[in-house]
Amino acid sequence: MTEAWIVVHDTDDGNALARSARGLGDRVVAVSLGAGSLADADLSLTIDLAPGALVEAYARPVAALLAERGATLVVFGTDVRSRLLAGQVAAHLGVSPVDVSGVVSTTPLVVMRSAFGGLAVATDEVTAPVAVLVVGPGALAPVDAAGEGSVEVVEAEPVPGPTLVETLPKPGGQVDLAAAARVVGVGRGFAAEADLDLARAVAARLGAELACSRPIAEGVGWMPTERYLGVSGATVQPVLYLAIGISGQVQHLVGVNHSKVIVAINKDKNAPIFQHADFGVVGDLYQVLPALVDAL
Amino acid sequence: MRIVACIKAVPQEQDIAVAPDRSLDLSRAGWKVGAYDLNAVEAGRRIVEKVGGELIGLSVGGDALSGTKLRKDVLSRGLDSLVVVAGDPSADSFQTASALAAALDGLGEVDLVLLGAGSADRYSQQVGNQLGALLGRPTLNQVDDLAVEGDHLRVRRLLEDAVQVIDVPLPAVLSVTSGLNSPRIAGMKDILAAGKKPVCEVAAAMPGGSTRLVSLLAPEQVDRGHVVVEGAPAEVAQQLAQFLKSL
Ligand SMILES: Cc1cc2nc3c(=O)[nH]c(=O)nc-3n(C[C@H](O)[C@H](O)[C@H](O)COP(=O)(O)OP(=O)(O)OC[C@H]3O[C@@H](n4cnc5c(N)ncnc54)[C@H](O)[C@@H]3O)c2cc1C
Ligand SMILES: Nc1ncnc2c1ncn2[C@@H]1O[C@H](COP(=O)(O)O)[C@@H](O)[C@H]1O
Repeated sequence: MTEAWIVVHDTDDGNALARSARGLGDRVVAVSLGAGSLADADLSLTIDLAPGALVEAYARPVAALLAERGATLVVFGTDVRSRLLAGQVAAHLGVSPVDVSGVVSTTPLVVMRSAFGGLAVATDEVTAPVAVLVVGPGALAPVDAAGEGSVEVVEAEPVPGPTLVETLPKPGGQVDLAAAARVVGVGRGFAAEADLDLARAVAARLGAELACSRPIAEGVGWMPTERYLGVSGATVQPVLYLAIGISGQVQHLVGVNHSKVIVAINKDKNAPIFQHADFGVVGDLYQVLPALVDAL
Repeated sequence: MRIVACIKAVPQEQDIAVAPDRSLDLSRAGWKVGAYDLNAVEAGRRIVEKVGGELIGLSVGGDALSGTKLRKDVLSRGLDSLVVVAGDPSADSFQTASALAAALDGLGEVDLVLLGAGSADRYSQQVGNQLGALLGRPTLNQVDDLAVEGDHLRVRRLLEDAVQVIDVPLPAVLSVTSGLNSPRIAGMKDILAAGKKPVCEVAAAMPGGSTRLVSLLAPEQVDRGHVVVEGAPAEVAQQLAQFLKSL
């Protein structure tokens, strides 16, 4: 019987990961860091967190627990904390974490990941004695079988290190770009934050969600990071993707190239985005967008 | 403070050719320093400018790092010196982190190790996480702001839905975001000075890999319409509006 282990720190995300991991093993065992028992796992080993401790402070005891119980397949999510946990637990086990965007086969374990910014897909056979997988949302089809829901309380001490001073809310709010039928993407072709209103006006006419390239979110911070598209951001498959002032680097295109129709507005007729567009407008967005709002 | 910034040489994506059988041809690709590694270099430089000390670049890689062009490029961005470790650039995170850890052992006391958000070719965002565990030092990822406060750092860390303010005792290993700063562009003076900065080559053993590469292929291309219009704004806007309304 193969056991798929998961390591989680959030109850909802944990149950979702348990359903995904069920495709990899007959039995799902969860190590739950402060997230209680998981209904969708067969067994939850629950660890209560010390007040103020970061979940990552438990990487070493979790690795020890996994080794002691003979885990050979351990799955983590892709959120910031799970990623750090995965890297640290894997290091303590003497292996590399393996990124998974899809599973080709389970015996032998062969998985896919994106490489060179999305220019290629690499297929890897996992040869390590312990497979530590970092699994993105949608990479594994969830199996909706009820878990046994057994619980075992495990004592563990956090390793001293970073101390949490405070947690601040992040502005921006949640968006579900993946569900949008039309998406307008803005890029560095916009010279100032206020100019994004030009794109907002077009998006409003089209009933589209506003998204962006990574530098608009991370570089200048004009949009929340949840709204950037690409290999390291969100992936969308709308009926229409309208890219405005976006050059079309491969890292961005991976996030949008499953759109049904791609339209681009760019003042440089040699911009790579035009090679991936159904309809392209060579022109200055500052002139084209107001005219487009009038014409729509 | 003695700071080490980890940087990786990566092939220039636009030079990577895709063959009809979807395999990649890297033979004509020029090499560059990973874009996001420069944020680590810049963060290190700013700390040194503020509190004094030294910033050492550390890179594990192959032939690309033997050339003076790439070495000069990274040195011109604010490093005081560079340590080059011979090793496979396509190694996995644990192999790379192990080589970095071994090289760091040979560097004596280091207060802070900085890494980028992710390497441009693998983008696992893991080398720093693993390196920190191997060294047994406080480790964080997604550091979006950092300030030296006496014997520790105060950092801001970006999570999906919140921002954590965290005090990190030194020595520590931190992976920074690409939004942390804007890396400086080197001027002529920096490039000339870079030629005189010390570069030291070291050897470090790498453990075996955790995976075996089965294939590396470009994804299938989607067929697109490729209609491109050019002309007076009002006219092209009209054409575009028509196209959008037809959807
Ligand atoms: C490891 C890694 C991961 C990455 N992940 C992502 C990712 O997930 N998503 C992402 O988007 N990027 C990602 N990037 C960054 C990516 O490589 C590009 O740098 C980025 O996508 C470029 O954004 P942009 O097109 O907005 O800006 P630019 O490339 O600067 O393009 C701006 C475009 O605007 C046009 N323009 C300028 N002025 C006007 C005007 N007045 N009217 C019309 N057009 C105008 C220009 O011709 C140009 O084509 C990643 C990079 C790395 C190294
Ligand atoms: N071969 C390498 N040599 C030096 N630093 C590296 C190497 N590979 C990765 N790094 C550092 O680790 C960060 C994360 O890389 P990765 O885990 O591959 O996404 C990069 O931004 C670099 O700062």
